Amino acid sequence: MPKCTINGKEIEVPQGTTVIEAFKMLGDDICHYCWHPGLSVAGVCRLCMVHIEGMPKLQIACNTEVRDGMVVTNQTDDVKDTVKWGLDFHLINHPLDCPICDQAGECGLQDQYMKFGKYDPEMAEPKVKKHKVVDLGPTVVLDSERCILCSRCVRFTEEVTETNELGIFNRGDRAEIGTVQGRPLDNNYSLNTVDICPVGALTSKDFRFRQRVWYLKDSESICPGCSTGCNVKVYFNEEGLWRVKPRYNAEVNGHWMCDEGRNTYKYVNAAHRLKKVKAGQSGDWSQEEVFPETMKLGEKFRAAAEKNPESIAVLVTGQYTNEEFKNFFEFVADELKVKNIFHWINNPEKFDDFDGLLLRGDKNPNTYGLKEEMKSRGGFKSLEDLQGKMSQFEWVLVLGPENQSQFPDLKEKVDLLSQAKSVIWLSACETPELDALRAPTHQIPMKTYIEKEGSFTNFKGLVQEFKRGTTVIEDALTLQEVVALLRGHELDYRNRPQPIGGTKKNHFTNVRGQL
Amino acid sequence: MSSLEVKLLSEHYDKPEFQGLEGYKKHGGYEVLVKALKMEPQKIIDEVKASGLRGRGGAGFPTGVKWGFLPNNDEPRYLLCNADEGEPGTFKDRVMMERAPHQLIEGMIISAFAVKSHKSYIYIRGEYDEPARILRKALDEAYEAGLLGKNILGSGFDHDMDLYRGAGAYICGEETGMISSLEGLKGQPKLKPPFPAIQGYLKKPTIVNNVETLAAVKYIIRDGADAYRKYGTEKSAGTKLFSISGNVVKPGTYEVPLGISLKDLIFDVCGGLKPGRKLKAVIPGGSSAPILTAEESLKVNMDYESLAQSGSMLGSGAVIVIDDSNDMVDLLDVTLHFYHHESCGQCTPCREGTGWISKITHSIKNGEGTTKDIDLIKNVAEHMMGKTICALSDAAAMPAISFVTKFRDEFEAYVNKGVERRGEDAHA
Repeated sequence: MPKCTINGKEIEVPQGTTVIEAFKMLGDDICHYCWHPGLSVAGVCRLCMVHIEGMPKLQIACNTEVRDGMVVTNQTDDVKDTVKWGLDFHLINHPLDCPICDQAGECGLQDQYMKFGKYDPEMAEPKVKKHKVVDLGPTVVLDSERCILCSRCVRFTEEVTETNELGIFNRGDRAEIGTVQGRPLDNNYSLNTVDICPVGALTSKDFRFRQRVWYLKDSESICPGCSTGCNVKVYFNEEGLWRVKPRYNAEVNGHWMCDEGRNTYKYVNAAHRLKKVKAGQSGDWSQEEVFPETMKLGEKFRAAAEKNPESIAVLVTGQYTNEEFKNFFEFVADELKVKNIFHWINNPEKFDDFDGLLLRGDKNPNTYGLKEEMKSRGGFKSLEDLQGKMSQFEWVLVLGPENQSQFPDLKEKVDLLSQAKSVIWLSACETPELDALRAPTHQIPMKTYIEKEGSFTNFKGLVQEFKRGTTVIEDALTLQEVVALLRGHELDYRNRPQPIGGTKKNHFTNVRGQL
Repeated sequence: MSSLEVKLLSEHYDKPEFQGLEGYKKHGGYEVLVKALKMEPQKIIDEVKASGLRGRGGAGFPTGVKWGFLPNNDEPRYLLCNADEGEPGTFKDRVMMERAPHQLIEGMIISAFAVKSHKSYIYIRGEYDEPARILRKALDEAYEAGLLGKNILGSGFDHDMDLYRGAGAYICGEETGMISSLEGLKGQPKLKPPFPAIQGYLKKPTIVNNVETLAAVKYIIRDGADAYRKYGTEKSAGTKLFSISGNVVKPGTYEVPLGISLKDLIFDVCGGLKPGRKLKAVIPGGSSAPILTAEESLKVNMDYESLAQSGSMLGSGAVIVIDDSNDMVDLLDVTLHFYHHESCGQCTPCREGTGWISKITHSIKNGEGTTKDIDLIKNVAEHMMGKTICALSDAAAMPAISFVTKFRDEFEAYVNKGVERRGEDAHA
């Protein structure tokens, strides 16, 4: 393994490591735009300049492999001067419209200019005019004047999705990003281009103009969209969730996530959520307080189970945490001896699909954990056993999906359960589909992934823990809380998680309308 | 004809028949190929190394050394002839291809045999319609005569040669830009390393040589390295075809030994300046070479070392002679407009810098500049030097720096004129 010296510090790196990677390992500052650890080397921004002993010219760190004994620095006046001017070259034709740019606050150009810049702009000539508000496709908008032509987005569609929608057209300072013959940038990973865009050239149609990023807090979480379990960051404030971005994990998702997964923040927001217990049936629902109502329900449920466990059926989706499943089955299967446990999957025909990159047909974050939990309990009963036998059951308890839109047979299941004597349906969201239940039903409001902590086990058995980010619906329950209430235990209401404070309210949101 | 001219490569350029295969053969055409095919390939490389031949396209890199960079294996490798000749002021390759297409083809087959390449391309600039037509015909003739294709002249050596026409981008004359273009990609230079000799066209080892370089190989093999070295200087061996344009009596392409004085080239070979004119400056190596003042140019010799010592370069051998009727601000404006237009746009300092200095120069020319702007041209240009993937950024920066440094008074005159008109303080 070659050893080199960077800014006076010795470091041993694996063979094939580039100088910029060695800087990153050491945590030393180095200015760069076009280099991205998940893409090939373009070497075009010319900012990661370093001085290497014995070399007459400055070299770019991204395309220079560390060799044994190399002595590298970016602390010479020559390097600093080059980087300062390099940044100025990036900025001379940049519109400097930070006040109206969505990238402001998390912009590479802003950050690096503050750190390395010249602070003395000398450009007095008219700027090059390029296309603004270019509609690249269903998800992304381009502002060519902000673009610094780092080519990251082009390399992304070339190397990661291999869809090749993007290219650089024209040359010199007239060069612009664009799509071939007006074909849209339309693939399920398109929003990664927005993430890797170091400036505000590519913005997300979903997020642009919605929030200033400094009004947002973020929390590390796991995407609940499918069984891959991409590591993500969820951005929110007191008003709710605003976006999801990928978080690097070499073992799971690398640097990327799919557009479908990014939508998982939407159903979490209050407008879509079940806030109280809804009791009744189709066309006749009443709102009940969550805690007393669930406890009352527990008494009846327990009594029925104790009388005859066979009179209870449980329908489970893989959308809850390992900890929730463990607690739930200890209660239902071990204590109440319920045997009629059924596994409801989103779409049997597409369940094993995989798009070759990240997205899987199993739209549950924890199918693996659920199956593990059921292994020692003899597994599931076949779903076919449910057909035509509904009237046998006093109670059907449904651990419903958090993300209902991924369950195409939702209506079918609602129709089936409408034949039951009574239904308890745990659901995060309030939807017309659920409200169509014709059996006497209690819909119990559930917390979503960002409102609880625990772990999901992904498709290959990797257990990934995550922390609570925020609370959107205070009264919504975790599955453990449902179990406690059904058991007849009082909850310690005072110690329940409160919404995360400390974020500033963005008073301009109302101008744009609610989520 | 001046006694300072030599006729080695250009010996038969005055004979129209030299263009066709029959006429070419009449003057010893393809005889050197017969000789070369009987030689050990390595012997040819050694001979070229010994001759001191340096790349005639601009960089002046020793040809034999370049060939020596090829990996020693059986991988397919390519020979590319750079006939993109885009440097403003350069037109000697065009003359060579028009007058003696077979000379180039013969030189290329010999070179390909030496580097064990079975496929070569001549990448010719898009604007060269007539030379392309002539070359195409010559290639057909060569194929028909068994000089190209399988088992050339019964030697067992196979070689295919093709002509590829560029689409008019200056940057495709840069060897890796040319490779990108030939690969069907946008003509943009590639990062080095890897160098083309290791990973070039289609990621295979590739040698890129200029038209004149490849044609010269024929004469090195015909007469031997020592005979070739009789021309030129110790470090700049051989003859060179210079393209001389501008304000001389007889502009044109002339073959002279390297090391000839620029003074002789202008006043003897080219018949001097037009009557009543005074020499102001000379660009000795194409528009990207730093300009020489009249005084500097009368002292310099036309070889790689002397010109480097004088702060300029031999480049492609394009000599642009400027007399007192020319306006330096105007000349720089035109030059920088060209490089701004031709920058491929990959590297930021070049993409943005070429436009910036071009705009400032244009402002000065329009009487809208300030004294500070003159300094700014130099400052910006200095920060464009040596910072990019290829040399286009330097090609714009070098004339900019040298023009404003050496002819600052002319730039100031424009500034002052503008200031007078506007009634401002020039130094405000």
